[in-house]
Amino acid sequence: MLRTVKPKNARSKRAMQAREPKEVEDPRTAIFVKGTHTGEKVNVVMKEMMALKRPNAISFAKKNVVRPFDDASSLEFWAQKNDASLFVVGQSTKKRPDGMTFVRMYDNRVLDMCEVGVENWQSMAEFKTPKSTPGNKPLMHFASELFDTHPRFIQLKSMLMDFFNGEVIDSICLSGLEHVISVSLAPTPSSLNSAGAADALGAGTSSDAQSELKSLPKAHVRVYTIRMLASGTRIPRVELTPMGPSLDLALRRHTDADGEMWKQAMRRPKLRKQEVESGLGKKRKNLEVDEMGDLRGRIHVVKQDLGKLQTRKMKGLKGARMDAAAGEESDVSMDDEADSQRRKRRKGD
Amino acid sequence: MDVSDILAAHAAKQKAVTVEKDIPLQVDAGFLTVTDLNPVDAESYSANLEDYLISTARDGVQALIGALFSLPTTPSPDGPLARLPTPTTQLPRAKPLPKPKPPTKWEQFAKAKGIQHSKKEKKVWDEEKQDWVDRWGWKGANKQLESQWLTEVPANADINHDPSKVARDERKARITKNEKQRLGNLARAQGTSSSAAPAPLAERKKELDRTLAVTRKSTASMGKFDRTLEGEKKPKGIKRKFDPAEVSATKETSHNLAILSKLDKEPVTKKAKKSSADGPPGGDNVLNVRKAIRSASKGKGSAALARDGAKGKGKKGRR
Repeated sequence: MLRTVKPKNARSKRAMQAREPKEVEDPRTAIFVKGTHTGEKVNVVMKEMMALKRPNAISFAKKNVVRPFDDASSLEFWAQKNDASLFVVGQSTKKRPDGMTFVRMYDNRVLDMCEVGVENWQSMAEFKTPKSTPGNKPLMHFASELFDTHPRFIQLKSMLMDFFNGEVIDSICLSGLEHVISVSLAPTPSSLNSAGAADALGAGTSSDAQSELKSLPKAHVRVYTIRMLASGTRIPRVELTPMGPSLDLALRRHTDADGEMWKQAMRRPKLRKQEVESGLGKKRKNLEVDEMGDLRGRIHVVKQDLGKLQTRKMKGLKGARMDAAAGEESDVSMDDEADSQRRKRRKGD
Repeated sequence: MDVSDILAAHAAKQKAVTVEKDIPLQVDAGFLTVTDLNPVDAESYSANLEDYLISTARDGVQALIGALFSLPTTPSPDGPLARLPTPTTQLPRAKPLPKPKPPTKWEQFAKAKGIQHSKKEKKVWDEEKQDWVDRWGWKGANKQLESQWLTEVPANADINHDPSKVARDERKARITKNEKQRLGNLARAQGTSSSAAPAPLAERKKELDRTLAVTRKSTASMGKFDRTLEGEKKPKGIKRKFDPAEVSATKETSHNLAILSKLDKEPVTKKAKKSSADGPPGGDNVLNVRKAIRSASKGKGSAALARDGAKGKGKKGRR
């Protein structure tokens, strides 16, 4: 553990305040760590992933003896030291060649991990096409029904979304959308279809784990630049051009998040009044956008009191002085009458 | 008037920017993400992988761009900004939610009394200077009493009465008081955050007194020749306490009976406890085994007793 220090000057105080937990979080910083041996492939893949992740990326140039699935203490130390909450650990061994481990942290502790093996890849330089601006926010595209059903792929989707696109923003410049990161899966094998999945769940033994991993479809990660063409409507027509890098990933080991820690990490701040009013938190009532794209509202008006309606003023209707003279007695008698009537009604009931 | 041409043209335009899928695409505009839950078409996948991937991606991105371009926009110098809705996908946080700042003592009091916070302006109007001056700080309005050239002095004032000094001292006292309160608030906030609550004041005072008493006696002369400080009290010794000579009869009898009942029992000693533990459980043992062995072996122990017995037998056998 690092010492908790008291800031001695305003600059260090500001730096410490920037690291304190916030209600709306900054984008996650990723640290790219090389393990004891990384092949050429993993080196370049990590470099290109870093190019996509910039400026929220830190590269560790030296090799490190780090095995995230066995001992996460050094990851925790680095996370605290660098104020980073994502890791990509590259490691190539005989048993698991060209592996990359995505590690997500919560409160400087490991939340969950997912290891992928890089199988085929093409670098950015191989595509002689225009590239996106570094630091630009990408769109994300996921294609397969497994991203909604299979726990491994739900985790992968969540991890990649957190990696590239995890920042909550309130507005975006539409002309600045430049590239998309697309993650598609290979066709779903029959063992993972709804009937086969039930069998797999029933026989959840360790010997099956290897074959189960083999049966998981590959993930194809592609990066495309977007060209928007005029279509005559407000929405432009989209064309994609491959930009690179393109990776084919195979899922390997993983650890799920600890239940309690996950619950803590999924806590949401209460929405502020201003946000609720602007319609972010709740659904706005009585408002709808019709087919023409116009915002239409429904208004409920209370029943109008016609007794207070101002009609034409005439001298003859100004009975104020006359009422004041004769009104006293008549008022009293009227009240009495009304009272007696009410009493009668009550008796009748 | 025939509008079918116009409608057809409009439909053609719409067709270029709409995406038809079996399962509609899930668009999360807040995270600029689209998820295509349609099963992967194995045939076209194996026929040409890259073409298949780019075509599915195009469909997805078209749907996403359609959703983004229909969001309400605000104009900006760099082009229209789309106001994004809150994301529907839940991603875990990187750090825990910020803890609310603990209220100061004043804030607690104000809340209890229903006092509402009213913001004070930093500047106040100075009639003399005909200008706005700071309420405090350099040339602040709170130093007016000290710097004015004429001050009213009370009739019964001391000869050395210095009105500007009095005002300054009062101001300085207010500052120190405020600082003390600020530190107190900080300490209270620290105390609530840590699990160990600070000891009550009376307890701490008692502990301090005890420590002081011990240190005063902890010299070579047991504190006899120590210099005493001004205002230091003589350390109190322990006063012996006796029961009152006259007590009620019932109390006396119960007291005496308690003594008698103690006399009736065996004294509870260490040895007695040990022997009872050695013996067989349940029932009081008449024979003390250890004592018996000791007397039989003449204090040599059980091993010697066993050896002697064996020797005797062997001799008999030889003869």
